[in-house]
Amino acid sequence: MEILAQLVVSGISVGMIYAVIAFGYQLTFATSKTLNFGQGEALMLGALVGLSLTQWLGFVLMLPLVILFGLCQGAVVEWLGVRQSMRAKSEFGWIMATIALGIIFRNLAENIWGRDELKFPSPLPEEPLSFLGVNMLPMEVAVVVGALAMMLAVELFNRRSIYGKAVVAASADRDAAGLMGINTNLVITFSYALSSATAAVAGVLVGPLKPVGATMGAVLGLKAFAVAIIGGLSSGFGVIVGGLILGIVEKLTGFYIDSGYQDVPGLLLLLLVLAFKPAGLFGKTAIKKV
Amino acid sequence: MSNVSWAALAAATLLGSTALVSGALAADPIKIGVSGPFTGGSASMGVSMRDGVKLAVEEINKAGGVLGRPLVTVERDDEAKNEVGVQVTQELISKEHVVAAVGFINTGVTLAATRFYEEAEIPVFDNVATGTAVTKQFLPPDYEQNYVFRNAANDTIQSAMIVDQAIDRQHFTKPAILADSTNYGQLGRQDLEAALAKKGIKPVAEEKFNIGDVDMTAQLLKAKSAGADSVLTYGIGPELAQIANGMAKLGWKVPIVGSWTLSMSTFIDNAGPNGDGAIMPETFIQAPTTPKRKAFIEAYQKAYGIDRIPSPVSAAQGYDSVYLLAAAINQAGTTDGPKVRAALEDLKTKVDGVVTSYDHPFSSTDHEAISKNIPVFGIVKGGHVIFWSKEDEASASQVRVKGAVN
Repeated sequence: MEILAQLVVSGISVGMIYAVIAFGYQLTFATSKTLNFGQGEALMLGALVGLSLTQWLGFVLMLPLVILFGLCQGAVVEWLGVRQSMRAKSEFGWIMATIALGIIFRNLAENIWGRDELKFPSPLPEEPLSFLGVNMLPMEVAVVVGALAMMLAVELFNRRSIYGKAVVAASADRDAAGLMGINTNLVITFSYALSSATAAVAGVLVGPLKPVGATMGAVLGLKAFAVAIIGGLSSGFGVIVGGLILGIVEKLTGFYIDSGYQDVPGLLLLLLVLAFKPAGLFGKTAIKKV
Repeated sequence: MSNVSWAALAAATLLGSTALVSGALAADPIKIGVSGPFTGGSASMGVSMRDGVKLAVEEINKAGGVLGRPLVTVERDDEAKNEVGVQVTQELISKEHVVAAVGFINTGVTLAATRFYEEAEIPVFDNVATGTAVTKQFLPPDYEQNYVFRNAANDTIQSAMIVDQAIDRQHFTKPAILADSTNYGQLGRQDLEAALAKKGIKPVAEEKFNIGDVDMTAQLLKAKSAGADSVLTYGIGPELAQIANGMAKLGWKVPIVGSWTLSMSTFIDNAGPNGDGAIMPETFIQAPTTPKRKAFIEAYQKAYGIDRIPSPVSAAQGYDSVYLLAAAINQAGTTDGPKVRAALEDLKTKVDGVVTSYDHPFSSTDHEAISKNIPVFGIVKGGHVIFWSKEDEASASQVRVKGAVN
């Protein structure tokens, strides 16, 4: 029983990391029907920039700067990669463009921060907390809390503020929103900025739990993509559930079946979802009128 | 003699010697390929190896080069990827026309890339990668000659040492094996299993993990619930650190004994205090136990402006591989591949290296310069790797030389 609880707790903290990155995929998909395939790299850059800044400023002062950096980085991706291909009415140009930008960012990071995986100093104590026989690191708790808080903040912004409503309007119907006087291009740029900012914060949260380096984003970005598909690209609640499912299933498979097959059930689930519920477990099926 | 003529004589001598030196430099340089991962998770080994190689090349050139010709290195990053390793190898052979090559950190890359040196009849030194199969791919009678040499402790040696240490010296009875899913980890796991089986022991758990995994809870819990009293590892630095950190998180502390990658700086730095006590076989520990080792450590520190060598084993083996190669080229009197290979298999000059003293290190049937008696056990303590046992430390000044073939 303790073992099961320990596995579930570890699964939750890993799953929440996947969920935050998946949430970033969702933000841009909502407004522009495009995804940033360099989302993992946005996380990596956030972690590394955070690592450099935290040495000078400490963890708390570093956070707003990392968010600012993430916003700028996302805007750059949109300007360089996505806008051009949308203007050219290219269906798939943004896929190649965001992947290419991701590779460029990875090489850039290798040149700036070197090739070794680095240690991100933990802002919280590194002694585990013990609760009913289940051990967890304070930082793991912080990841779960931080991830939920961040997603909640973005949702609140979208629902309550006038700018957020512009985002929601553009997601609902881009053309109609444009006719109502909303600058939809700006909304899309903003959604990319926000998406990278959430990834950058996720990087700072995951940093103390895992060695950080230029290649850290690849695996996380891919798993988060699976989560976004499983949960549905249009449901904020979906990515959280999707992330938790993937995280917990990984740990349970690793323990009860074989650690060599840890990644298999998640991918099987992905295939099943694509076959039977292509919009995701919680996604709304929309009919695309041509 | 007047002052003037003294000056003239000095000038003439100077001129003469410059002419000699420039003559040597003008001679066709001998191109040596150096490939390894200079980026990514195993870069600390690749970069240390490369820097060790460059140090040796500089020293040799300062002393007049080889056959009166300077050595030149052509460096290529294989990114620890098999396909990139193959690509840079082909480039080194057909575009750069290297006469020999040193390098290789990752077993998978080595297995994929050395084939091209074999086909081109170019001797190649694997100075770090440890997969047992590396020197055994091109054995006669299937191939006429084997061009792959190694001066690193292979996995058969390391796994046997790890098992001896864990079972015989530290008296563990229920080891668990944790290995990564790469060629390196899985071949090492097989070697560990075989070595344990010889002692009639079956590991209580055998777990796998992937490069880049965030969390090792499932694997560690399985080992813990199987009642493991020690963890034997085969992986690389960042993931090994995740194992040590995961153990601390679960409040489960058993000794970690594993392959030499536990001495990587990425393990030591990322595991921090959780990594203290990890034990691994090492061909070289950064300690000035002989004049040669002292000189090497000081030269390395001076050349690269650092105190702790990121991977001392890789640096030392990289350095030694160049001296072995240079001795062979000198003996062959040519850079012709088959002749250099023949010279390596019957090396008449004794090469005084950092790891050991190489006296006839290779033969036509044995391409391994390091035997089981050479490595010693190191232990991580306070961010450094030191000797595990006091006896080893005390006797370190007596260089361990290759004995009977293992």
